[in-house]
Amino acid sequence: MDAAPAPYLIRINGRLGATVLSAFPALAPRQDGAHTVLTGLLDRSALYGVLADIEALGLDLLELQKLPPDT
Amino acid sequence: MAVAPRLIDRVDLLTALDRAAASKVTIISAPAGSGKTSLLRAWAGRTGRPHRLAVVRVQRDQHDAQQFWLALLDAIRHVTGAHGGAEPPAATPEFNGPAMVDRVLSELADAQGGIMLVVDDLHELHTPDMPDQLNRLLTRLPPNVHAILTTRHDVRLRLHRLRLAGELAEIRAADLRFSERETRALLEASGITLSAAGAALLHQRTEGWAAGLRLAALSLAGHRDPERFVAEFSGTDRTVAEYLLAEMLDRQPPDVQDLLLRTALLERVNGELADLLTGHPGREQILLNLEDANAFVESLDAGRTWFRYHHLFADLLRLELRRTLPADIPALHRRAAGWFTRHGQVAEAVRHTQAAGDWPEAAQLLADHAFSLTLDGQAQTMQALLQAFPPGADHPELAVVRAMGDLAQGRLDEAAAHLAVAETYAETALPGRRRHLRVAIASLNLSLARRRGHVAGVVEQARFLAAPVTGPSDEDIATGSDLRAVALMNLGTVEAWSLGLPDAAGHLREGAALAREIGRPYLEVGCLAQLGFAHIFDSADVPEMDAFATTQRRCREAVALAERYGWGTEPVIAPALMTLASTMVWLGEFDEGERWLRRTEQALRTDTGPDVRLLLHQTAAILHAGRGRRHEALAEFGVAEDLASRLAGAQALASQMISWRLATQARLGQPGEARAALAALDDQRAGSGELRNARAVICLAEGDPAGALGALRDVLDGTARVLGYVTVVEAHLLAGHAHRELGDQRAANQAVERALGLVESDRLVLPFAMTDSAELLAGLPRHQTAHAALLADILDILHGASPAADNGSSPPVDELSPGELRVLRYLPTNLSRPEIAGELSLSPNTVSTHLRSIYAKLQVGDRTSAVRRARELRLLSGRRPN
Repeated sequence: MDAAPAPYLIRINGRLGATVLSAFPALAPRQDGAHTVLTGLLDRSALYGVLADIEALGLDLLELQKLPPDT
Repeated sequence: MAVAPRLIDRVDLLTALDRAAASKVTIISAPAGSGKTSLLRAWAGRTGRPHRLAVVRVQRDQHDAQQFWLALLDAIRHVTGAHGGAEPPAATPEFNGPAMVDRVLSELADAQGGIMLVVDDLHELHTPDMPDQLNRLLTRLPPNVHAILTTRHDVRLRLHRLRLAGELAEIRAADLRFSERETRALLEASGITLSAAGAALLHQRTEGWAAGLRLAALSLAGHRDPERFVAEFSGTDRTVAEYLLAEMLDRQPPDVQDLLLRTALLERVNGELADLLTGHPGREQILLNLEDANAFVESLDAGRTWFRYHHLFADLLRLELRRTLPADIPALHRRAAGWFTRHGQVAEAVRHTQAAGDWPEAAQLLADHAFSLTLDGQAQTMQALLQAFPPGADHPELAVVRAMGDLAQGRLDEAAAHLAVAETYAETALPGRRRHLRVAIASLNLSLARRRGHVAGVVEQARFLAAPVTGPSDEDIATGSDLRAVALMNLGTVEAWSLGLPDAAGHLREGAALAREIGRPYLEVGCLAQLGFAHIFDSADVPEMDAFATTQRRCREAVALAERYGWGTEPVIAPALMTLASTMVWLGEFDEGERWLRRTEQALRTDTGPDVRLLLHQTAAILHAGRGRRHEALAEFGVAEDLASRLAGAQALASQMISWRLATQARLGQPGEARAALAALDDQRAGSGELRNARAVICLAEGDPAGALGALRDVLDGTARVLGYVTVVEAHLLAGHAHRELGDQRAANQAVERALGLVESDRLVLPFAMTDSAELLAGLPRHQTAHAALLADILDILHGASPAADNGSSPPVDELSPGELRVLRYLPTNLSRPEIAGELSLSPNTVSTHLRSIYAKLQVGDRTSAVRRARELRLLSGRRPN
């Protein structure tokens, strides 16, 4: 298991407002049509923390992708 | 809020749950805000259900499984009304998951009628063994019990067997979704007028998601233009919850908004806390109104004093608070921490102190209350709080807490290292804290020493614990008392296990009294259990009137207290169970001894140190030996000897174990091996009374009775060191065997008579059984002994007539008077009435009067039946007339 942080892309349905975005300070948001795309460097526990927050805030997770290291 | 949106009667869903609930287990698994809890509430609120509901909601982020199980047990007792004199379920630091599940199952099995267990928010349980424990519960539910679990995400429960049997039902997000018809019903019930197209649009936009619809209804209620609201909502691509929460908040009066935001950082809130965090009085009414409006606020108790926010709602509010009032947050946490500290809710106080960023204060708070938290069954919560401190920051206060976690996990070297850090820190602490820290450290050092079996020297260092801890500098008397009671228990325990340290009983008695005073039954049971054990060593030196009977009475009292709290088979009571088992075996009550031994084994499923296990194997060994099962006895003696040799304080016990092992070996026809092992021992050990006895047994097995007598000489004349008078009893009996083989019946009889004289007060049978002395005893003419009744009892037991235990079916018997009991003991002998009268220095008429009374009370007609009945009632051995 890779312990080092890796870049991840997380796609969520809908546009996230300032309140919900403040739950993900380590991730950069960008609008992609009707979706919000969050990207950033996460290690395993940070990743699962983000997923738990997505669950807790009732968000609709569409996609989770590990990006190549140089992105 | 103008009109409260109400829960609507979702008939289809309720019917679906009815159907599901007919299965053994129903799992409702759906994301946050899907309406799981609302469904349960609506379902539970309907009449005519065949089950009574025992409902437990898992607290947020629960790390201690015990808290969950105690809550479940309490809920079950609440519906069954089975409190019946028992104390409410109480926490123990030695939580045993499987045992707890069995306890829950046994209470359920005793319950009448249908019961539905409801566990809400199962996903909040963060305890590693939970899947196993729940699996154990759910697969063994009695026929009258069903269960419903709700969770945000699927949890691994391994319920394949239930699934295959069609006994597992599931309700998932798709089932919980509102239909368009239900959406219209919800709007209608909330007094909202919306066109059919508007309702359809709202349903489409929320995708029937319950939380979305409820939030929308809150905003729509009293809205001037509901159609426009829905159109705007539908036209935005903002996420549903965030959009609707903002809309809903905007529509609240400023004081309600302020309350919701500022109290969002609490897991639960009451009027006082709300006043404190908002800085305004009378906030409870707002909370009550919000609950009445069904606005994601619900009360946690029947009296409606505590409230919580729906988790999704609270999480969003917290984000909003952090965004809008970031500067106020540390102060809010500080105020909350102060309130929880004042109200003794330490875990929450620490959590808020940490959240305020006051790390040194949080460290001290946690360290000060570490013993109390452990006693409250929150050890795992405490370790989770420990994990929350930022890595790298140095808080030497926490070394004590870390050591406690290490001890609980059996990481003894790590515990020692952390205690060393704590000791260094204690030297630099302020005088008031130094005392507190030193007590905590000494107390933990005693536990550590016991777990390691190296108790020598620890007691001296910890002796200062006996002095009272509460000085003027001690702010918190309760915390100080918890600490002191634990310290006394640990000190007394180590003293007791160091064999013969005279202060043990005093410290344990003091600890028990303090524990009772401060309402810590766990510590009281712990002290009393150790006290029962300590007493038997106190009385091992010389035969003492009723020593065994007194010990047994004390142990039974400790066991009764433990049972009131449901700890009858917990490790804390094991020393008393063990002592009962062992004394029963010594008294020749082998069946009864075996029952207590089984119960001790059950109580010792978790490892509590080599000392208790030593006694477990020793008792098993003497039980086998008493029953003549020598091979089994040999194996158990070997294990006990091995454990004893590793206990620095148990060298005397080790001699006893080695002696019995060698004697058993010799009796099994291996005197050569035994003699070789004897030769390998050092002089000091070989010179002990116990090993001299073993040498005598070997000589006897080799056909050398004269050698045996030589070996026994120093034991019999009192020059050899002995563990207790039992060793001398044994020596007399072995001498009896030797004299008999040498043809000196008179000397043999004298030896037996001396042995009988020594055991008369305690009525010990085991030494006669272990030395195979039935024939030897039978050779002693009745008229030549002053112990005819005892002799008859012992012979009965040796001939396999072990006194039957109470089977509960016998009719109750009037208590026999001491005089009657004295006469009763002669009934198994062949002495006539005048002879008994002579033995007891009574007139024959008095004996006849006693006999008539005995027959009447035992409801029998003759002497033979009286003896049989007296045996059944266990009146012939163990207890002595006063």
